[in-house]
Amino acid sequence: MSVLDELEFMFFHFLPYTPLPDGYKEADSLWVDYPNTNFDPVVGHELYKRYWSELLLADKLGYDAIMVNEHHNTQYTMNPAPNLTAAAIIPHTSCRIGVFGTPPNFEQPNRLAEEYAMLDVMSGGRLEVAFPLGTGMEYWANSVNPATARARFREAIDVILKAWTQPGPMGYAGEFYNYRYLNPWPTPYQKPHPPAYIVGSGSEETVELAAELGLGYSVVFIPTSAQLKVFDRYRERLAHHGHEVNSKKVTFGVMAYVAENDKQAEEEFMPHCMYFFETGLKTTPRYLMPPGYLTVPEFRRRISSADVHGSANWDDLTAINRIVAGTPEKVADAIAHWAEEAQASRISLNLALGDMPHWKVVKNLTLFAEEVIPRLRAKKVAVV
Amino acid sequence: MNATEGFEKLHLSVNGTDTVVLALGDAAAPPLVFFHGAGTFHGWEFARPWAAQFRVLIPHHPGFAESGDMDGLREFGDFVLHYGALFDQLGLHRDVNLVGLSLGGRLAARFAISQQHRLRRLVLVAPAGLQVPEAPMEDLFRIPPEQIPAKLVKNFEVLLPWLPTDPHDLDFAVDRYRETRTVAIVAWDEPFDRVIPRWMSTMTVPTLVMWGADDALIPVGQGKAWADLVPDSELRVFDDAGHLLLDESPAAVQAVAEFCA
Repeated sequence: MSVLDELEFMFFHFLPYTPLPDGYKEADSLWVDYPNTNFDPVVGHELYKRYWSELLLADKLGYDAIMVNEHHNTQYTMNPAPNLTAAAIIPHTSCRIGVFGTPPNFEQPNRLAEEYAMLDVMSGGRLEVAFPLGTGMEYWANSVNPATARARFREAIDVILKAWTQPGPMGYAGEFYNYRYLNPWPTPYQKPHPPAYIVGSGSEETVELAAELGLGYSVVFIPTSAQLKVFDRYRERLAHHGHEVNSKKVTFGVMAYVAENDKQAEEEFMPHCMYFFETGLKTTPRYLMPPGYLTVPEFRRRISSADVHGSANWDDLTAINRIVAGTPEKVADAIAHWAEEAQASRISLNLALGDMPHWKVVKNLTLFAEEVIPRLRAKKVAVV
Repeated sequence: MNATEGFEKLHLSVNGTDTVVLALGDAAAPPLVFFHGAGTFHGWEFARPWAAQFRVLIPHHPGFAESGDMDGLREFGDFVLHYGALFDQLGLHRDVNLVGLSLGGRLAARFAISQQHRLRRLVLVAPAGLQVPEAPMEDLFRIPPEQIPAKLVKNFEVLLPWLPTDPHDLDFAVDRYRETRTVAIVAWDEPFDRVIPRWMSTMTVPTLVMWGADDALIPVGQGKAWADLVPDSELRVFDDAGHLLLDESPAAVQAVAEFCA
């Protein structure tokens, strides 16, 4: 059995706010303190309508899942409340919906357990969720102490998993959360609960937590080589804790663009990919690493290594990240290689990126679905 | 510069927290304890003159400088309990002169409220933690780290010996991150102290409130609010000095010694 036998294609949309008004290039950060007076709700309204159409197109084209996520105080996404997006598209889709997701320590965890259960019941069991700690930037935007974030995160996940899997009512006595009657209605459609992942950026703490709880793991914002080490460590710790290790436990990200030939694909994709790294992700080390968000050794490790926020050149980016632009053959070969290298079958696909116009998203989504996915499915036959 | 040359270094375990206390002066002299602020990089030079009259004791708070982290630290009250236990170990049961700077001033005020029987004199140097709408303190967490040193002093030369020559010095950045992390644990959610305004009226230890006229972090305008709050107190303002008043003003250092004499 190869990982290629089980590939899952998940279209991940950030719903970015573009274009930004003049002057944004002078800002040190386009997160946290980039003024919200730069947001035009009329432009936003048109973008939401456009983005819904792209999400629904992905469903029609047969993608296995649509994924959305949450960030605050930023042009990077117009999706601070991804459950609202999920609820809006559930009645119009038949694919799985991944909410990847709300930091559980930002919300009352019983309420988050309820919201996710609602989506799971509303969709007839099509929900997947992830528990992200949230980027450092989120802690400047929300009234949650970054120095106790990890302890609160861990406890919030514990509340949610208990709320989903144990019959209520029950009490819960924690350090941060105390419930007299934990008894959320509704309960999830899927049993014991919707597939759940922890999203991190590779810190030991999040890897260990995912392994300990037997949850899946997904990693963002770090280079491929670092991800592979994290995946190995995660699988090793997953086995150590007695949980099954399989290719569906790991989700990995790919940025891909498909066109008639390699040159055209690169020309059509590169400016938007560069926009994503240079503009979408632009922020400061201070916002990335609020006080206590990282352990002291992890802080030392991060400031000693390169980061991907706000500076970029194409050759460096494509050398360290899973980025491919080319013909269907080229894209399919690259993805097959990455899946085998990561021993992972779940692919989070960034096919709409940065300030990419609607026509390119439609073209890319369509070509990927009609020309790349069948080629990858065919590889499955080849290895059997 | 060797910050601790000439100091004795006491290593204690306080309810499980490895704690370092710097000591200077005759062990039989009256004790003067100094509670440092949110960053320890600027050393302890200002304290040396006090050793002529006092047994100077400078504990490193848990999570700062050479002391270890405190397991389960959550709030300022944990620091107060830590220092009650530390004072017991050091035999500091009464007649202690306590001086606190900035975050250490907030801590000294909190300590004094519940442990005033141990104290003879209290000195609050530009203490943090009071919400004074007409003279608001800067939110330390909102200031980019590279801009903090300039806000600490009026005369920047005072700080130069203590700053790394390489602005990207890794160890310096890591040490500051650790100390700021400790501050965040206790002060991110509570930048303003709930206990001090409510209970300070019960604290009767004679108190000197001191401020640098050019404090760019906690404005001198807060001095009167503190002096009004602390029952037996006087306010002294020193010209040509910023937040790190004791580093900049020998007159302020001397005033502490005279007040505690």
